[in-house]
Amino acid sequence: MEDEELKIAVYWGCKIPATQYAYEMSVRQVLPRLGVELIDLKGTSCCGGPVRSINNLASMYLSARIMALSSKTTGEGLLVPCNECHFMLTETKHRIDNDEETYEQIGKLLSEEGLEYSTDLKIWHVVDLLHDVVKVETVKSTVMKPLEGFRFAVHPGCQIIRPSEIGRVDNPENPKKLDALVKALGAETVDYTEKLDCCGAALMYSHEEAALSLAGSKLKALQAYGADGFVDTCPYCHTMYDAKQEAAAATVGGKLSVSVFYYTQLLGIALGIEQKKLGLHLNQSNDPRKFNL
Amino acid sequence: MTLTDLMTMAKSNEELQKKIRNQLWNTHPDECYQCMRCTSGCTSLKLLELKPHEITILVNAGFIEELVSSDIIWTCTSCLKCRERCPQKASPYNTIMALRNLAVEQEAKIPEKYMKVVAQILETGMAEQAQIVTSKDMQSFNREKLGLPEIQQADDKFKAIFMKILGG
Repeated sequence: MEDEELKIAVYWGCKIPATQYAYEMSVRQVLPRLGVELIDLKGTSCCGGPVRSINNLASMYLSARIMALSSKTTGEGLLVPCNECHFMLTETKHRIDNDEETYEQIGKLLSEEGLEYSTDLKIWHVVDLLHDVVKVETVKSTVMKPLEGFRFAVHPGCQIIRPSEIGRVDNPENPKKLDALVKALGAETVDYTEKLDCCGAALMYSHEEAALSLAGSKLKALQAYGADGFVDTCPYCHTMYDAKQEAAAATVGGKLSVSVFYYTQLLGIALGIEQKKLGLHLNQSNDPRKFNL
Repeated sequence: MTLTDLMTMAKSNEELQKKIRNQLWNTHPDECYQCMRCTSGCTSLKLLELKPHEITILVNAGFIEELVSSDIIWTCTSCLKCRERCPQKASPYNTIMALRNLAVEQEAKIPEKYMKVVAQILETGMAEQAQIVTSKDMQSFNREKLGLPEIQQADDKFKAIFMKILGG
């Protein structure tokens, strides 16, 4: 992997380029150093995630539109760093590829914009791209500043590991890839009972207090394990645990003080990249000075 | 009033039940044998009393109007555990999404934020607009200041297609 350059298209979705700048910055910093060149898709729109509750066909059209835009690039596949977008695109692809009626219906809609759906697109997330393509060993050998002595709790998220029938990035009940990637940086990971608990982000549309309480309970439980930080790879989960941590604490009682990082931020630090270029100053939950990375 | 109360009062509606079934693909609520594996692992069980096995049996009994007008269908977090763990491919998650679509179609009361996000997509193509963020030491940043490239938005052609689908 080190010698050959991989060119891949990237779809950032809405949440990442609108508010989660640290994720975008750190992905843009770390991947080229590991031999992955990113091509930004132009003229993108929403993946259809929130639209699925309103109109399923409209949401499938939106997902398919992104895949059609991607097949116009020279990239060998499409990187989708947001868990929700990754699920929506994979789910729609699974339906189109296995349901003739939907294939024709969507194809017709796309053709109105001069776009065409192609069945052979490979969709990646940051986690499987690094773990399965770049490889853990390469990540390990590229590390310049090992994060030795740190213990992190990883949060795999829900939508990149389930449902397995459509093909997901890791095991639905016992995901270990993010753990392996954190260990490759020289740090340890914590095994904890609440690892598969959901962040609650989707409930921010309808039941905000319950959503915050879900995020808060996980962090509260986690504090007891004495981990140095919390690692995620989804802009929705990250918003809940990082920017909303204070509000989440209020719903579960007690004080929360958990340092939350995007995996790509930690990877960047271990690769010796300046913290500002990784957007560490934008994280709301942790104080890098206190953390002393 | 809980769902169980509604069930004792309601009448089955086969027409709407058919509508839900037609919307589902590769999902079989009628194969459900109430093992409750979905409910035992449901993220929204404790806080919001969502019981996915109950949703499934109510659909099978045809109590669709009651479900569509209930807030319970808006309590799902889309964690997808029920879909993963169901031994019968009944996926309550997919049934809930179909019920939400029907609620929109029937102009039932739905959480406002969902309609706001659709309006936002129709306006800009995106569910969210780029914001100015503040660091912990109270400095403001936008994409440009952080060295991130400008977002290239979709043109109006896509919006017309999207609008057409929404309009049915």
